[in-house]
Amino acid sequence: MAEQEIDIREALKQAMDEEMERDGDVFILGEEVAEYHGAYKVTKDLWEKYGDKRVIDTPISECGFAGLAIGAALTGLRPIVEFMSFNFSFVAFDQIVNNAFKMHYMSGGRFKVPIVFRGPNGAAAQVSCQHSHNVESIYGHLPGCKIVSPSTVYDSKGLLKSAIRDDNPILVLENEMIYGKKEKIPVDEFLVPIGKANILVPGKDITLISHSRMLIHCLEAAEVMAKKGIRVEVIDLRTIKPLDIGTIAQSVKKTGRVVLVEEGHRFAGICAEIASEIMEHCFDYLDAPVERVCQKETPLPYSPPLEAETIPNVRRILSALKKVAQGLLT
Amino acid sequence: MTEKTISIPYNFHKADAESILQEIGKEKALLALDEMLKIRNFEKRGEQSYQMGKVWGFYHAYTGQEAIQTGAVLALGKEKNLWVTTYRCHALALLLGMTVEEGMCELYGKVNGNAQGRGGSMHFYTDNLFGGNGIVGGQWPMGAGLAFSLKYRNIQNEVAVCFGGDGSVVQGAFHESMNLAKLWKLPLIVVIENNQLGMGTQIQRAICNFPIGENFAKSYAIKSYTVDGMSLPHCYSVFKEAYQYATKEREPVIIEAVTQRFRGHSISDSAEYRSKEELERIKKDDPIDQFCELLKSKHMITTDEIEQRQKKWNDIAVAAMKFAEESPFPNVLSLEEGVMAK
Repeated sequence: MAEQEIDIREALKQAMDEEMERDGDVFILGEEVAEYHGAYKVTKDLWEKYGDKRVIDTPISECGFAGLAIGAALTGLRPIVEFMSFNFSFVAFDQIVNNAFKMHYMSGGRFKVPIVFRGPNGAAAQVSCQHSHNVESIYGHLPGCKIVSPSTVYDSKGLLKSAIRDDNPILVLENEMIYGKKEKIPVDEFLVPIGKANILVPGKDITLISHSRMLIHCLEAAEVMAKKGIRVEVIDLRTIKPLDIGTIAQSVKKTGRVVLVEEGHRFAGICAEIASEIMEHCFDYLDAPVERVCQKETPLPYSPPLEAETIPNVRRILSALKKVAQGLLT
Repeated sequence: MTEKTISIPYNFHKADAESILQEIGKEKALLALDEMLKIRNFEKRGEQSYQMGKVWGFYHAYTGQEAIQTGAVLALGKEKNLWVTTYRCHALALLLGMTVEEGMCELYGKVNGNAQGRGGSMHFYTDNLFGGNGIVGGQWPMGAGLAFSLKYRNIQNEVAVCFGGDGSVVQGAFHESMNLAKLWKLPLIVVIENNQLGMGTQIQRAICNFPIGENFAKSYAIKSYTVDGMSLPHCYSVFKEAYQYATKEREPVIIEAVTQRFRGHSISDSAEYRSKEELERIKKDDPIDQFCELLKSKHMITTDEIEQRQKKWNDIAVAAMKFAEESPFPNVLSLEEGVMAK
């Protein structure tokens, strides 16, 4: 099978390109997506290929263009809305929540809203309090949407393609810090199903679950533990909603010990949700309380040492792993 | 129009009601009367059902404003074009093909309601009516999106029509939508239904510049009309002209329809901000009475025939109450069905 080595940025672009070729109803709109090629160059060359009609620069008007895209989706078009960052989606919150998420149910199933909202989520580097939000638990709280957050090149491409073909509002949460991450993936077309987690590293002692950029730290921590003889199973959620509790429960029933890692805040976060699911489904299998490593409860500060401390890091993940491993470590 | 209305220098769309009526013709004119009577009686019986404890939540009646949307649908036709409106949505759904029974059952929260009991009073739909939207101003960007879709698909002879109240034009969503609609040349008819009250707040206390439509339109270089929203012939005429403009020029157009709602903002609003005397004065402008007088003066209908039609729609609305009462509630086992599209 022919392979290509590309980064996540290129994978996302290929996903959009292939889906736009496949379906004339798919179009992209957002700030700087056309002539500028996207603030992070994710839409590079698409405007040249598809023109003004299908790759559309918008004014800085998120409420307006997100709502406009939702209106277009109601008629059967399949918009991809790029938010320059998901921080700016808050300006369009009412449109996303009230008009996209709820329309199918509220209309008694009459209308569908096949729309993708994509863009970078979470902290970048020292962009401070208002530009570093993790939105997954904010949107994930509300019924009517699906949320994916890939960490690999393969999943970035395959999940975005699946999202574009889905008939529901989908948030594709990317991460600025890993746009340049490279991998070999097949040249031929493939899809990654929404709703399936992936075991990145198999292990029998501790289950370590995360998504997106935090998996880089998780993999490093798992390696450190391996040197101590503890085999950590690392699970990449890939899809946050709907949550693949099957894969999680299967792992937890095997290991009995769990550490959950998330870039977002601790209170009412994704980890809190998963911990609760584990308690409901795997209570009798747990050998230690579930540990969480999350962003601390402050707006994300600018100063580098403060930022490094509030976002989960290898040291904090290792500390949690060691805590649940008590009794395993000799 | 009342004194307060007159204090704002509206430049009303000029048209001769009698010649417009000739243009509409007897058959369509009587159809329009029927539609207005259907709406009036639906709202009356819906509110009665609410008082009886059969309907809950919010209930925003269209009573008093019937001429606007009736005129719009009469001018544009019910089969084509894409429509979206506010929570005051019963009339437009009825005009675009929802049956009285379907609407009443939705109010009663029944499974055979317009939205299977999921939406209620604020969320009525037809295949080309995209709600019924509950958040003030939230529908403006969607309206622009419907027009965008027509442009994307190169559908030349249709427009999107988006209704909103005077209270919603000071939301950011309105201004973002106007900018996008003009910037991208979207075939969108923007209808500001100015009933002069944003809930209980008079427009003079909420908006800084009048007339609303004319002035806001200027900011975006959009063509605008202001129309007497209590006159069916004038509403018909202005929508016809706006439709011709929007389809020919492929541009947005704003219509401000100055109107009066006869009821409170919603059923739970006792409207203490308006005296009985003022309400009586306002009711002298009743769009249905005005239209009936015009029809009678042109010998298109007699008083007896009007009464017969009124009785017919009253009976239909009353029968719908009984039908809704006897219809089943949704099975609670279906609660979690239909959150996501398959």
